[in-house]
Amino acid sequence: MTPLAAAVRAAPILEPTRLALVSGGLVFLLMMTLGLLMKATQAGFLPLEPRAFYEVMTAHGIGMVGTAGLTGVAVLWHFLGRYVELDERVFWAFLASFLSGVVLILGAVFVGGFAAAWTFLYPLPAISGGVWAPETAVVYLAGLALVGTGFLLLHLECARALRARWGGLAHALGWPLLFRGAQDPLPPPAVVAAAAVTVFNLLGLVVGAAVIAISILDIVIPAASLDPLLAKNMIYFFGHVFINATIYMAVIAVYEIIPEYTGRPWTTSRIFVAAWSVLLLFVMAVYPHHLLQDTVMPAWTLAVGQILSYGTAVPLVAVTTLGLLSQLHRSGARLDLPAALLVLGVGGWTAGVMPAWIDGIVAVNKVMHNTLWVPGHFHMYLILGQVAFVWAVLLRLARGRDERGLSASDGIVFWLYLLGGAGLALGFLIAGAASVPRRWAVHDPAWIVHDVPGVLFAVMVLAGAAGFFAKAVPGLLARGAAQARG
Amino acid sequence: MQEVVLAASLLAIALVVVAFVKVLRELGPGERRWSGPEQLSRLRGRILWLSMIAGAALALLTLLPWPHAVPTGPAVVSVAVRASMWAWELDPTRVPVGVPVVFHATSGDVNHGFGVFDPSGKLLFQTQAMPGWVNKVAWTFTEPGRYRVLCLEYCGLVHHGMMAELEVLPRS
Ligand code: HEM
Ligand SMILES: [Cu+2]
Ligand SMILES: [Cu+2]
Repeated sequence: MTPLAAAVRAAPILEPTRLALVSGGLVFLLMMTLGLLMKATQAGFLPLEPRAFYEVMTAHGIGMVGTAGLTGVAVLWHFLGRYVELDERVFWAFLASFLSGVVLILGAVFVGGFAAAWTFLYPLPAISGGVWAPETAVVYLAGLALVGTGFLLLHLECARALRARWGGLAHALGWPLLFRGAQDPLPPPAVVAAAAVTVFNLLGLVVGAAVIAISILDIVIPAASLDPLLAKNMIYFFGHVFINATIYMAVIAVYEIIPEYTGRPWTTSRIFVAAWSVLLLFVMAVYPHHLLQDTVMPAWTLAVGQILSYGTAVPLVAVTTLGLLSQLHRSGARLDLPAALLVLGVGGWTAGVMPAWIDGIVAVNKVMHNTLWVPGHFHMYLILGQVAFVWAVLLRLARGRDERGLSASDGIVFWLYLLGGAGLALGFLIAGAASVPRRWAVHDPAWIVHDVPGVLFAVMVLAGAAGFFAKAVPGLLARGAAQARG
Repeated sequence: MQEVVLAASLLAIALVVVAFVKVLRELGPGERRWSGPEQLSRLRGRILWLSMIAGAALALLTLLPWPHAVPTGPAVVSVAVRASMWAWELDPTRVPVGVPVVFHATSGDVNHGFGVFDPSGKLLFQTQAMPGWVNKVAWTFTEPGRYRVLCLEYCGLVHHGMMAELEVLPRS
């Protein structure tokens, strides 16, 4: 071990997954503040010009999705490291690539005025109507490519380590158990989940890299051009797979931590393996539900998109939701703040999936697509799902397990966050049902009734989240110091 | 449509909340023996079967007839819709009530979203307006009046200002 590596080991705050989680938590807080700015603007409390609004919207979107990715892989890496030999240098390389990408993206948005939204839907980055320069779009896209390269590296390392330890990804996925009824040694749930996410996120990232590269070429070489429908398919395939991966990585924390509270092992069963393998396919095949209003798409792809939107919800409920409930039921578990957040995460994710799959019905989508219904469901399973898992892991690393359960102040921040998140998401859903479009810098006076309560709920989420962060950070620093001494 | 969707979604969310609250209220004290795995697999089997049957029924009900089907024939009125930053061109801008109208939507630059709102502000239907492609969407208006066209795909700085009017004429 080099002296530098030894020094890093001695100071756990510099342990790369902790660093990723702490900075991720901080960025979540900053990005939530941007969310509050948007809500306050739509409610008429703030005079953000449309130009600034759309920059903030782009930053909030890519900042949140990127941070969900960062914290998701940190959770994955942290728990997968219990079962396989991961090369820590790869995580540092990931962080370096990720950070340099972030610098380019921030520069493009806040210096160059890039505001094509995080989904960079072709050909908007190149054709801005004179608002930002095409070169600025290249900087944004290059930033995305760097961030994506980091994730690609990291998942390749996970795939390598899984294969080295389990003798192939099929074994890590638990296929011998699924198809032959027995497997020894049995991969634990964390390994099965990690293997599935690694496979589908790698495929998503490759498609994402391709569409980013073509979008850049299209700007640099004027003669080049891309079919906008093909680009839309590729972008939504990548975007859908990536944001789903952030949740599926973070949920590993539930499989790993909850059994410590309930005293019941969470073992890999045949149905668990089947569910994750089905999910591995469905997560990719379901993406046309983002194109339900492109009637030129072959009808069967849209029908598959609709059917699989429902189909992906079923394994989630069958395995993770029911699995958690049966873990808890009459277990006598005493839930402290991290455990309560893990339970909230599974509940919020399951709840948020309901309006999401319903929106995947073609006939429903015709009146809900691109209304606030959509931020309604994704804010529910992100704020009360993915991000709740991340706070849980952060607090768990910082404070360990608290045998006394929730303290009074734990309870306050927990309920602030839960009620704020639920109120914000339900408010978006109700506004969507009232036909309020998404991504509008200026709201019609008739819509403002939906925005005003959202401001209050946003403040509650932010206060709760700041509470989690404040509770975690001193613990992390102190623990780091203690471990460095010991 | 929107009211039904909202009610169904709130009901589904409420079911999730009820399940969690019920289990959390029966959290302890711990039983000596955990009957969880067997109980769980029985419950899971039932839920799986039920959800597959319900899912198949729902798919049949909502996919047949195909929601994007477009009528043809002499009675059909066609409207050409062309979007560009940041305006709509509709031709014609007036359509008759009670007759199937087919909108042919395309774009001259980036992706836009062709959304038609009734006079009370309720979204009736939409389709994407995309460069190089023509998406078709059909609607039969039942009430005369002034309908609004709003943009439902983010298209840059004046996305929220991209509006037009469609007049639905009474039967002459
Ligand atoms: C205090 C918490 C939050 C508030 C107040 C908030 C607010 C908002 C608002 C107002 C919008 C724009 C809605 C519109 O289309 O008009 C938005 C979009 C979005 N938010 Fe949040 N948000 C919060 C937390 C989060 C979190 C935790 C995530 C993900 C981890 C997230 C991800 C997104 C994404 C991906 C978009 C879409 C941006 C786009 O349309 O391009 N938000 N949010
Ligand atoms: Cu537009
Ligand atoms: Cu637009």
